Amino acid sequence: MNITTFSNNNVRGDDSSPIIRAKTFNIPEKCFNKGVGCAWRSGNKFSIYPRSQTVSKTPKNDVENKILNIRHEIVLFHPILRKLVNESNGTYLSLQKLVDSSKNNDNHVELLKLSRQYRSIIRVCIENLQEALNDAKDGSDMINLQSYITIFYSVECIWHLCEILYIDKIPGDIVLPYLLEWVRFHFPCHEQTAAQLLEACERGSEDHDDYWDTVIGMVVQGRVDVARALLKLNSLSETNEFKLVDNSLRSMPVYSIYGGISTGEFTVTWKHWQAECRAKVTSRVLASQPKLELIMRLIIGEYSAFESIRSTYTSWFDMLGGYVMFTAPWSRTHELSAAASACAGMGSMPSGSRLDRTLRALLEGDMHQVIHEIQHITDNGWFATHLSDILYHCGKLKVLDKHQNNVTQRLRDSLILEYGTLIMEHKSLWSVGLSYLASCPPEGLCRAHLLLERIPINTHAKAMRVVAEANKYGLLEVGEGVWRVLSGRHSAAGRDGAALSAAVRGGAAGRAGRCAGAALRHYCRTGCLPAPDLLLTAGPALLIDDTLLFLGKYCEFHRMYKNKEFRKAAQLLISLITSKIAPDFFWETLLLDALPLLESDEAMFTADDTYDMMLCLELRAQNFNREKAELLRLALLRNLARTALAEKPEESTQ
Amino acid sequence: MTHLYTKMSIDIQGTFVSQKINKVRWIPEDYAETKCFLTGSWDDEVNLITVWTFESVNEDEEVEYPRALTKYPVDDDVTQIKFTEKNKIAVSISNGDVKILEISAYDKQTPLKEIFSWKSLHNYGNTKCSATSLDTYEGDIASIGEDGNVNILSGRRGEVNRTIKGADSCSLHSICYLKHTEVITGNIRGHIKIWDLRSEVDKPAASFLLAGDELAATCIINHPTQPHIVLAGSESGSVAIWDLRMNTFPTSLLSAHTGGVTEMQFHPENPQKLLTCAVSGELWDWNMETITKSTKGPDNQLVWMPLQDKNTMMINSLMPSFHQALNSLDCEKGRILCGADNEAVYLIKNLKY
Repeated sequence: MNITTFSNNNVRGDDSSPIIRAKTFNIPEKCFNKGVGCAWRSGNKFSIYPRSQTVSKTPKNDVENKILNIRHEIVLFHPILRKLVNESNGTYLSLQKLVDSSKNNDNHVELLKLSRQYRSIIRVCIENLQEALNDAKDGSDMINLQSYITIFYSVECIWHLCEILYIDKIPGDIVLPYLLEWVRFHFPCHEQTAAQLLEACERGSEDHDDYWDTVIGMVVQGRVDVARALLKLNSLSETNEFKLVDNSLRSMPVYSIYGGISTGEFTVTWKHWQAECRAKVTSRVLASQPKLELIMRLIIGEYSAFESIRSTYTSWFDMLGGYVMFTAPWSRTHELSAAASACAGMGSMPSGSRLDRTLRALLEGDMHQVIHEIQHITDNGWFATHLSDILYHCGKLKVLDKHQNNVTQRLRDSLILEYGTLIMEHKSLWSVGLSYLASCPPEGLCRAHLLLERIPINTHAKAMRVVAEANKYGLLEVGEGVWRVLSGRHSAAGRDGAALSAAVRGGAAGRAGRCAGAALRHYCRTGCLPAPDLLLTAGPALLIDDTLLFLGKYCEFHRMYKNKEFRKAAQLLISLITSKIAPDFFWETLLLDALPLLESDEAMFTADDTYDMMLCLELRAQNFNREKAELLRLALLRNLARTALAEKPEESTQ
Repeated sequence: MTHLYTKMSIDIQGTFVSQKINKVRWIPEDYAETKCFLTGSWDDEVNLITVWTFESVNEDEEVEYPRALTKYPVDDDVTQIKFTEKNKIAVSISNGDVKILEISAYDKQTPLKEIFSWKSLHNYGNTKCSATSLDTYEGDIASIGEDGNVNILSGRRGEVNRTIKGADSCSLHSICYLKHTEVITGNIRGHIKIWDLRSEVDKPAASFLLAGDELAATCIINHPTQPHIVLAGSESGSVAIWDLRMNTFPTSLLSAHTGGVTEMQFHPENPQKLLTCAVSGELWDWNMETITKSTKGPDNQLVWMPLQDKNTMMINSLMPSFHQALNSLDCEKGRILCGADNEAVYLIKNLKY
């Protein structure tokens, strides 16, 4: 299949730049030459078929007509990512439960815990992918795994920053320590070299190729102590220049919310310290040691100094922590955007990657853009869904549309609905998808209803599970539908018992009636009743339909007759006759059943009963075989003759 | 009913396995602690019977994680796994097949070997029909299916010894051997029947209803030391207890779980302890002492008392807030394995018994 891309006129939002969103597939099969038809199947599957079929007399040509089923490849259905789907489902549901149970309470501690849980799930997933990559042998597998790893690395990186900026409540809103931690965690440049050098603890470590890069890297990461320790390893560390830098680094004031001084006070001390450092730089005492001078220029927050080392890093995030630390360590969450744009603007490289754009938007607090960017990550919406949900519940997601309407909830819901619908497509994961849809009423439940009805059901066990899940969310009609369909399937195959039990389960009166009718017809043909075990034990369930009730009672009549409880049987029979609920075709059988009882030695029916039966016989005479009707009339008359006489004296005595 | 979340040091460890697990079974060991177990999956494109072992990732680490040793693909859902002998399992599959597979005694990594296979043992003529469950007794196997038939198979000779055709007009969902010549079955309507296998005619020796709600009897077991005591779990989540010597009405009908009971097991070492798991995601540990201890009958036999006050039941919940169905459990000493619909296997350690 050849794939070419072309741009179509899909226009995104306000800016009118066309975005390439369409792919063209060339299908080589001959049968599609004359025109192609297309039809949606469930979920994101569709089928294409030749519009003009080549109908020919020779059956050979039929082979050429093909129907192609086409579906979108879903990365989340990869066995390793299925673990992520299932595990995060648990966290998602705990989050919904938490929010439901504490509507007004402040639950940011719990939300933070859940956010960390999500991140640890992503970490486990990356670990699993890494393991699989190490074991992988097939080339394309390796490429896929590698790309999944890249995706989830950036997912975790974005989530972590999001957690710091929006989910966590930072004391005093002084974000720097968290930001530094984030940088160290995700961009651990030079860390290994630093550890190696410190472990070796040799004087003259500057002979190591990466010595200066490492020292500067540690400064930029805000790890002043490590940088100082490394400087001590330099063979010139006893010189004045080194001592001066060490002293400057050591005396750097560090702000702590619990330190007992106000931000104002701290700012004054810090500015004073930086002014001192600046004086040292301008006095050119360090001119002989350009690297030390660079360090000093960095710690006084000189933009050009940061710019000069930008090229040694792959991204601008590496420098963000250091830049904030040495320019405005008192920055609050919402003040980071200036630092971000300063860092991103360094160097000539345009910041083009998705991760770049997302992190910029995140630091600028443009949540709309953040969600927009992460929706394009090829993880089938897993990240966008879960992140926007937790941000929404933290009250940190505010998205306005073109007309300044608040569409936050609609955005969150639509993401969850999309994700739930996608997951529900999978044969095994449908119940996971269902739980997402159910958390977004009312539309989610409507979707769930439609999708549940379309789940293929092969066994009763699956049917019971689907119905139980549907009932859990109050979708009782699904259960009725499922059992009705199963009942239909069973009755079409002539399994009356199974059909009846399914119909009764589904509460489908009409269906149950038809099944009962079929059972009675079966009896008329073969003379044996199907499913007596069911009918004799079915209690109130029989009441849903008259024909079914009739069948049940008729079955009981047979049981009594077999057990030779003739008098009781006769009574039941007469009540069946007089209740007139028997279907038309069954009257003949029903009345003929009275024949042996009429002919028994002892009279089983009273005169009144006999009159009733005669009436029924005459009213329905046209349904009867003439010979049988005559036989019945005779029996009825003879019974009347003996009962009328036997009962007469009693009546006259009254 | 009271749920005592006692602060025992119960340790729960979950592992995601990328398949919904319908059955879990420990593989018994003779002289060592059991390390290996089996899982059977359901509701997936390709279902597997997998042999696992618990292994620590690093040598010094104490926590052990399951690692798959060998996988045996089956055509449809695995509906039941039971041991016929020490290293042989009988498996029922929802395409109607019943198989006997052998686990190598020496190396668990060896692929499972098929000893016998009854293709489409349960069927609707030419159409497929699910073999819903089976039970084993000294090498014999009794299997049931949606066709309502009961098949008695010989696990040694690989023959079908007997078929009770149309044992039920509805689909059968649970079966249990009461003794070598007697099985008890439960159908989709909660109709329980006892079959005497010596009898020539295909008629139940006794039959009774689980409850009036017409819901399926999803599992049946009998008490290990008092085989006349039979317990059945219902799709509604209730558990019924019968004393087969007394009458056909349940001595007690406890509305227990909020979703269908999926599996019940008496603790192999302590028959006073019952473990149940359910579609509603609960795993409960019942103390049955209150039921048995209460009185002795006239001939000095233990009589199971009808429960008047359900609050006296001692039940511990072993699985805190779980949102998906728990399908299976298997207990061995202080450890319980659990298979769930969230595609995970759970190991619960430090159970007191």
